[in-house]
Amino acid sequence: MSRFMQAIRPGLRWLSLACLYLAGAGLVLMTLIIGWQVFGRYVLNDTPSWSEPLSLQLMSWFILLGAAVGVRESVHLGLDIVRYNMSLRVQRLMDLVSLALICIFGGAMSFYGTQLAAGTWTARIPVLGWPGGIDFIPLIAGGALISIFALERLIDTLIAPVAAESDDAANAEVL
Amino acid sequence: MAYSILFGTFALLMALGMPIAFCLGVASLATVLYLGIPPIVIFQQLNSGMNIFAMMAIPFFIFAGDLMVRGGIAFRLVRFASGFVGHLRGGLGQVNIVSSMLFGGISGSAVADASAIGGLMVPQMAARGYDRGYAVNVTISSALIALLIPPSHNMILYSISAGGTVSVADLFTAGIIPGILLTIALMVTAYIVARRRGYPAEPFPGFGKMMVFFFAALPGLLLIAIIFGGVRSGVFTATESSCIAVLYAFLVAVFVYRELDWSGFMEAILGAVKTTSLVLLVIGMAAAFAWLMSFLQVQLTLIQLVKSISDNPMVVLLLITIALLVLGTFMDMAPLVIITTPVFLPIVQAFGIDPVHFGVIMILNAGIGLITPPVGTVLFVGCAVGKISIREAMETIWPFFGACVLVLLMVTFIPELSLWLPAQFK
Repeated sequence: MSRFMQAIRPGLRWLSLACLYLAGAGLVLMTLIIGWQVFGRYVLNDTPSWSEPLSLQLMSWFILLGAAVGVRESVHLGLDIVRYNMSLRVQRLMDLVSLALICIFGGAMSFYGTQLAAGTWTARIPVLGWPGGIDFIPLIAGGALISIFALERLIDTLIAPVAAESDDAANAEVL
Repeated sequence: MAYSILFGTFALLMALGMPIAFCLGVASLATVLYLGIPPIVIFQQLNSGMNIFAMMAIPFFIFAGDLMVRGGIAFRLVRFASGFVGHLRGGLGQVNIVSSMLFGGISGSAVADASAIGGLMVPQMAARGYDRGYAVNVTISSALIALLIPPSHNMILYSISAGGTVSVADLFTAGIIPGILLTIALMVTAYIVARRRGYPAEPFPGFGKMMVFFFAALPGLLLIAIIFGGVRSGVFTATESSCIAVLYAFLVAVFVYRELDWSGFMEAILGAVKTTSLVLLVIGMAAAFAWLMSFLQVQLTLIQLVKSISDNPMVVLLLITIALLVLGTFMDMAPLVIITTPVFLPIVQAFGIDPVHFGVIMILNAGIGLITPPVGTVLFVGCAVGKISIREAMETIWPFFGACVLVLLMVTFIPELSLWLPAQFK
């Protein structure tokens, strides 16, 4: 399993980096679109109607791609105080449960996102005229990415015995 | 039983150390499974919760704040403040506080304020013989001013969490007097502590130099007027003003100050992605959680419970203030505001308390949580910038903490402090 993880690691790193840069590009595009909206309203005297729905589409991508990177880099906002007061063995167990649930939840986001997209595909997004199901594509992709990155960390935690051993060693020293 | 599953699962997962966004999502999913509601509803709510136009202001303001720091705007504001108040006793402490007020007027983020102003001021203060603990305490307590002085992206967070029913323009305006009050309270505290410790005053630079500092800082100061004036007058929405702040900061940093290079620009973008996408995901997940709370009529049950304790609005506000202070020590600001607003706002509204007034109380309360351990982001940033331990910072923080709590109590029990100014604009 360790070799397998080593083999796919560059791919996952590349995927995470691509997500980060795409989310960054989304932020720049959102800025330009909303800037254009203000310019259009006050300078051209013609407020673009597409700017708001398009920037909302970009924001969904921005959130979910950034959140997926956050799962891989373990930078999400959380409460660590209880965890830090546990032994390393318990901490590892807590991480495994937490990552497994995130992995399942990401999968569920993707699964139900697909159902929502299929159910609304024939509807139209106002102004943009795109199929309604497009609204849920970020949820499908973001959910899948969250699931993949959580699974990567889950496997890493499972195959890394160091923490448990050092915990035992530390306990032995104390005793 | 459904209550126990919703809140019990949430608390259990939080204790496990699971990210708050996923605690909200998994707890909501577990509850709908128990209730026999199709789980797809949760993901529909999640998607709707991430499609709110006002939310865009949060990454924009963080992005703009970062561009201002990297582009030299923050540095010039600090220099301008030093000309103004540097000659007072403990002058660099006073400069730190006034700089936070000015920087808060353009960035609206306490964390950005602590790292930007702290990064500039703490080394200078240490070099001039100030105790590092004092320098860090002044930095982190004055960073809270940024939460109150408009534009505060946390006010936008509160407005979104309140279902968009509270005007962002009113919230921005309501924060001004409490923000100034906090500035004065911290300046007085810093002055008293500085006198006791015998910290020096800086020489007065002279009016000529002050004018130079003023004109150099003018582009940054103009941005305060553009953002607040634009939102208040209805020229821009809050989201549009935050976007203008990004474009303006970019143009000033690149073409006026010429201090922003490509790598700084990329770091600002990627930093904004990493910081804000996580907060926005919490908002989305909280939408699903809040929908379930409404479905289960949690707020109604809580109102009845609170009414059985007291029917005095001030007692209720005090109880909620205490609860928020305690929760603030454990939770970061954004999740605290997102999660507790839908819970507490209906209660205070049932007691006739103005939601704008409560917004200011909520923001200041949650802000104080940012400088108290065990979970205090601004405290952590301040200690990292000042290169001291949290214990060292906590040993001498009490006068500043006391000043913040005093202002909080004044804001809580004197609604006019928050509500008078917005009323003047109507």
